[in-house]
Amino acid sequence: MLFKISLSGVKARWKDYLVLFSGMMITTAIFYMFEAISTNDKFTTNSPVGQNAKVVFIFGSILLAIITLVYVFYANNFLMSMRKHDYGLFMMLGAKSGVISKLIILETIVIGLVSTLVGIVFGIGVTQILSDFLGNALHISLTNFSAFYMPAVWTTIIMFLVLFVIAGFLNARTFVKTSALQLLRSGQQSDWKQPKTSHLMIQAILGIVLLAGGYYALYDIMRLKIMAIAIGLVTIVLGTYFVFNSFFVMLLEWLQRSKMSSKGLNSFTLAQLKFRIRDYTKILSVVSLLFALALGAITVGVGFQNMVPKLAEGNGYYSVALTNPTAKQGSLIGQIKGKSTVTYQQKVDSQTKHVYYRADQLKQQPMKYAHFTNQAQLKSKVSNASLKDFKDVNSDPYQALSSLQAPTIQSYKIQVVSAQTFSQINAKTNALFLVRAHDMDAASPQLTKITELQQKQYHVKDLQMGSFTMYQLLKGVFGSLEFMGIFLGIAFLAMLASCLMFKILSGTASDKIRFDMLNKIGTRRSVLSHSILAQILGLFALPAVLGIIDVAFGLQMFVQGHLLTSAYQTFGITTIGFVILYLIYFVVTVLIYSKIVVPKTKVER
Amino acid sequence: MTTKIVETEDLHKTYDKNSAKPYEALKGISLSVNQGEFVGIMGASGSGKTTLLNILATLDQPTSGSVKIDGQDVTNLSANQMADFRSKKLGFIFQDFNLLETLTAQENIALPLSLQNAKQSAINTAVKTAAGKLGIEELLGKYPTQLSGGQKQRVAAARALVANPSIIFGDEPTGALDSTNARELLDTLTNINQQGVSILLVTHDPFSASFCKRILFIKDGRIGDEIDAGNKPRNEFYQEILEKLGTFEQ
Repeated sequence: MLFKISLSGVKARWKDYLVLFSGMMITTAIFYMFEAISTNDKFTTNSPVGQNAKVVFIFGSILLAIITLVYVFYANNFLMSMRKHDYGLFMMLGAKSGVISKLIILETIVIGLVSTLVGIVFGIGVTQILSDFLGNALHISLTNFSAFYMPAVWTTIIMFLVLFVIAGFLNARTFVKTSALQLLRSGQQSDWKQPKTSHLMIQAILGIVLLAGGYYALYDIMRLKIMAIAIGLVTIVLGTYFVFNSFFVMLLEWLQRSKMSSKGLNSFTLAQLKFRIRDYTKILSVVSLLFALALGAITVGVGFQNMVPKLAEGNGYYSVALTNPTAKQGSLIGQIKGKSTVTYQQKVDSQTKHVYYRADQLKQQPMKYAHFTNQAQLKSKVSNASLKDFKDVNSDPYQALSSLQAPTIQSYKIQVVSAQTFSQINAKTNALFLVRAHDMDAASPQLTKITELQQKQYHVKDLQMGSFTMYQLLKGVFGSLEFMGIFLGIAFLAMLASCLMFKILSGTASDKIRFDMLNKIGTRRSVLSHSILAQILGLFALPAVLGIIDVAFGLQMFVQGHLLTSAYQTFGITTIGFVILYLIYFVVTVLIYSKIVVPKTKVER
Repeated sequence: MTTKIVETEDLHKTYDKNSAKPYEALKGISLSVNQGEFVGIMGASGSGKTTLLNILATLDQPTSGSVKIDGQDVTNLSANQMADFRSKKLGFIFQDFNLLETLTAQENIALPLSLQNAKQSAINTAVKTAAGKLGIEELLGKYPTQLSGGQKQRVAAARALVANPSIIFGDEPTGALDSTNARELLDTLTNINQQGVSILLVTHDPFSASFCKRILFIKDGRIGDEIDAGNKPRNEFYQEILEKLGTFEQ
């Protein structure tokens, strides 16, 4: 009987449940997405990044598990805040606490199980779409990776089931321990206490100092080595907490004292925001840190990837070299847009192991070669080879030309001779056709096909002719790094934003009363909406800003360690993309929130 | 000559007008409240008293009929005009005080004026005056959690008074209070009324109603009866209300 009543209670609040449900579904889907990579040993260890990735994923799994735990508890609180009144009523009517406990545990687990299963299906779909999209966008092929991966399914189910069972028992315990009357009247009290200014001041200073210390530690990574990360982790986590718990609160108090606070609803908006920030300190800190991690993961991943063309560039000017290109190869080259080509005649004396080139040709159209001027910053320069360069076996131009020849003759000695001498050499004349594609990414499909044809032609697997082969190799290594970075970054972002969204939405019940009162004392609807916008914007923006600052300083780790070049350029672009995704969550939260708390005006007739 | 603060004529309100089962909550109500009066509206649940209050308080609009508050017709205002009207001309006393816990008493009281974007100096003066009327000047810097039930009530009353409203509305203001707090609120209202502020109270509680000077009984969307306290002591008036209710509800 009670079960029936309980079910009808769910029906009555169907819309609220839908919000809760979709949130849980998204969480499960994200967790699955992550596990689809992390449990797939074949993909992670066989990828060029190899074992290093495994460590990243273990670390990531733990982090994600913690945030999932936090999330499930928030979602659960939201669920219980909806059910408190009903259960209180059942207890009033004389239902035994044992029956109520069973009901609560059952309800929590059923909701958890259903959302988990639906979430996994959703997760498989999202994983498929995202991996296809990233694979295409990054020009990498994901071998051994599949969106549907059974171990990931099991890990997800077990993880969530355990969480929901724990949540269910905790709920039951809270209920049995609170009296029916308290349950009926819960949500009507608020426990706001004005914090002491002296405490705030100390915490604010401590927070700033800790953050600064953490940032400095990351900056000084060359000297502090692994300690930099350890110090940074502790100080930044603590610093973030204190900054939310005090610094931002003080900032708002200062605003409250200013003139603007007496205008319209400003005093209410500021006070609400202050209350919220203190109330949400933990979640806001977590959101801020996760935001930094996710943004950092993407920035570093994309940063590595962006180094690929530069690295390849410094390794050789010409993308591919073809000796006596076939018609098929010729047509493939014809398809490349934006290229420069040059052809040199070549004669090979396989007995004396010499390769001959014509001086007049090399003079008329000097061969170009690339060399690094600063290896750490990946700065390279392109120069024209002079004839005398080819007399020195160790010179860059000599090495460059040598590596552009067919694999069989790469060890032969190069000799540049006059046109007359060349014609007298008794050997077949070859054409060495050098192609430089101006946009390697765009020309990638054709260049790949050409390389494949050459591999067959020379029966060599690791071909080294031109910078494209280097490009391909680097792309494999850094491409999967980038893939993981972006994939994880998006997963973390979706998770943290959902968390924040639900934490905010779980406050609607008590806010409804406040907004109803404000409506009655004559607040315009637009003013109410504006206040909501400002409050939620504050809650979304503050952790994001702190997260972006974290990354801005954290990147120093890579810059100082000469691991990444032009990290800040990448940072700018990824931040914009990231913020756009985050904004979508913000808008959705504002819309749902407004729909729930802004009183309906009955005027429109 | 007495000025009429509230004046309605043949007020009708029909819900779900276009549906198969329209529900007529108000069936032609005409009433008036004079300047400085303390009027109660009594009726059982579903009698239409809350609908009536919502229309008078410009939270809802009638299907037909006219409502004049302080001489102004409020039936054809836009949503924004209604909101502005409420903030300037009306005061509200809520169940459970409805103070914002995150604001000090001073800020809570100042809210209606902030909404009108009044000058800070004007707000400060008005808050002081309202607080003075209720004797809560010392409490202005405190937060609601630091106040007793009675003190919260007086802060809420000061908020209702601060914009110098033409009339104060109360919808079952004592509904969620224990008897001591209820008594205190009613004394506060009486005190405000004696200072010349008109009050309209909606209630089904005879004790609360006995503090009013005139009571309108509403039943099935119509005003059924009316009694006046005249110069009777409150106890006597209370008995009269009880008797009236006995016959009226039959």
